Amino acid sequence: MPGKSSIVIKLVLVITLCSTLIFAVALGYNYYSSRSILEKELESNARNLSLSLVNRVETELSVVSRVTEGVARALETGRYSEKELHTLIRTTVEKNPEIFGSGVAFEPYAFSKTSRLYAPYYYRENGKIAFTRLDTSYLYVPYLLWDWYQSPRELGRLEWSEPYFDDGGGNLAMSTCSVPFYGETDGVRHLKGIVATDITLDSLTKLVSSVKILKTGYAALLSRNGMVLAHPLKDAVMNESFFSIAEARNDPSLRELGKKMVAGETGFIRYNSLVGVRSWMYYAPIRSTGWTLAVLFPEAELLENINRLSLIMGVIGFAGVLLLTAAVVYIARSITKPLRSLAEATHVMASGNFDLELPVVRSNDEVGVLAQDFQVMKESLKEYIKNLTETTAAKERIQSELQVAADIQASLLPRQFPAFPERSEFDIFASMDPAKEIGGDFYDFFFIDDDNFCFLIADVAGKGVPAALYMMVAKTLLKSEAQRLGEPDQILAYVNKTLAIDNDSCMFATVFCAILEISTGTVRFANAGHNPPLVMDSQGVRYLALKSGFVLGPMADTVYETERLIMQPGDTLFLYTDGVTEATNLTDDLFGEPKLLNALQDGPRQESDQMIHAIRDEVTRHANGAPQSDDVTMVAITYRGTVV
Amino acid sequence: MEIQTRNEANTTVITITGRFDAVTAPDYEKKVQELIVGGDIRIVVDFAGLDYISSAGLRGLLVTAKLLKAKGGQVRFANVAGTVKEVFDISGFGTIFQMDATVAASLAAIA
Repeated sequence: MPGKSSIVIKLVLVITLCSTLIFAVALGYNYYSSRSILEKELESNARNLSLSLVNRVETELSVVSRVTEGVARALETGRYSEKELHTLIRTTVEKNPEIFGSGVAFEPYAFSKTSRLYAPYYYRENGKIAFTRLDTSYLYVPYLLWDWYQSPRELGRLEWSEPYFDDGGGNLAMSTCSVPFYGETDGVRHLKGIVATDITLDSLTKLVSSVKILKTGYAALLSRNGMVLAHPLKDAVMNESFFSIAEARNDPSLRELGKKMVAGETGFIRYNSLVGVRSWMYYAPIRSTGWTLAVLFPEAELLENINRLSLIMGVIGFAGVLLLTAAVVYIARSITKPLRSLAEATHVMASGNFDLELPVVRSNDEVGVLAQDFQVMKESLKEYIKNLTETTAAKERIQSELQVAADIQASLLPRQFPAFPERSEFDIFASMDPAKEIGGDFYDFFFIDDDNFCFLIADVAGKGVPAALYMMVAKTLLKSEAQRLGEPDQILAYVNKTLAIDNDSCMFATVFCAILEISTGTVRFANAGHNPPLVMDSQGVRYLALKSGFVLGPMADTVYETERLIMQPGDTLFLYTDGVTEATNLTDDLFGEPKLLNALQDGPRQESDQMIHAIRDEVTRHANGAPQSDDVTMVAITYRGTVV
Repeated sequence: MEIQTRNEANTTVITITGRFDAVTAPDYEKKVQELIVGGDIRIVVDFAGLDYISSAGLRGLLVTAKLLKAKGGQVRFANVAGTVKEVFDISGFGTIFQMDATVAASLAAIA
């Protein structure tokens, strides 16, 4: 069964990983780009929001400024009795709900020659207009020394005071808008007093906090010195300044920010709020008072939408990847299911079972084609193996029959050695090693009578069954004719005549036929085209000189001639076929006649069996593993002489 | 073995090169049979390029000579030398075939 590397797992891994990666990149890019777009939009929204808030504060403050200015100008142009002055102040407070209180503080002796200080002051208390005199209500410090009086007096123009806690006037945290007014005596303009209008910080705080910013965002108001004027944290109001906060947090960047605010700059920055919420802060100056309005947008709320969007996209993406994985698993399984069953079937087929039914695949895709081809292949293989089995069986039968034939052929040759242990006059040994195929070499030896011993060697042209059959006929004829005729030339001539009858296929055999007269050592021999034998005598090893004679078989009227050789005791005749000299090695080099002569010269000469074995060993060594292409046949006969 | 034929003076000259053995003998026999069927019954075989002849090769020569003889044709061998000549001598084939030293001599003799 497929393991961890199965197609399904590979597909799922690759596709899921790839799609997850693509999705993650897309989501990440989307988050990043929408966040940066949102940040720009956010900044402009924050700016608009902040500026509108600044405007509202400015409007509120400018109303107060204008009213105060109006009172001052009225006091300069008209002459007011004390009663009229009181009415003016009271009406001003009554008609302007944003004003907490208003008063006119005169320079010493400017209102009356009799009293040094005079400062009537109307203010709101419990929903009614109350009256007091600042020249008497300030118990410890006369109003002349207060900021709201000093600043406009010295600068000669409208001035908003830093917010302060008013102990004598309203007993509240407030800020005062002060405008100087002048009079003329003898053409000289001189300061007569200050018109002061108070607003409570409460009203500003209400205004500022009335603006809803996201869910938990808020606006804060800072004074010229960085003092917190309006803030959701009531404890901070009038108690903390931007610089004291920077000190407490040990944050130099915060101090820098404070400086920028005090300098009246505008900005949009990241900021950790007083309550420790990561936020964005827009700050802008309120020109008329030199204060700073700061609006805080908590980051989490700003990015809430984009975070929610990303979360939704993530969920959709995750679900998509799950769906995709399921689809891949489904498709991969449907593709590999027939493949798996095919694989299982081929596994069974591999063990040789071709009768197995292959699984049916109906699809027209590549798997279907594969399954069909597989079916065809299986049938072809089955057919092929069937044919092969039959052919092999037939071939084996022929082979075994040929082997039997080769055995029969070999058994026809005399193979008992020593062949004639009772005859001490000579010694004969012979061997025939057939090549792979059934061949046509043969030898034979037998007594014609007590004194005449016939021996011969022959080689039938060609190989195979025809050569073997021809060899059988030739051998049988040679033996019977030799015993009948007793002379080599006559034997060969007669056998040739018989073989030539109806020999259309021109089969032939080369034969060397000899008869040893034991009593004298005379050898009578005739040759029918066979290679000449070797004579080994006291002078050495040499080829027997002979007349060739034509081969046996093709021509009926061939004439042969008997020649003679006298053997001395100890002389040897060595007969062989061309299988000896034409034995080849792996590089097709012939064993050759010189090697044969040397081997005979150097080898054992006394015993003919040892001699033949030695030559056979030499030939085998020369072949060096190369297959034997022809029969290797040798006959050696040594004459010992007659016993005296 | 390679077998090439050409016509010269109304005679077919067959040039054989390489080894003439049991494997190639059928090719030679087939070739000569084709020539005889085509009416070419005067043949000279050039042995100059032949390295080796086996008993099967000799049999091939006999078969074709016999066919030619039956058709009243004749064959002569030229340039039989070296080991091939030795085989001819040993087997007695040299005595039954007509052999010449050169192709020209064979052509002259056959005319």
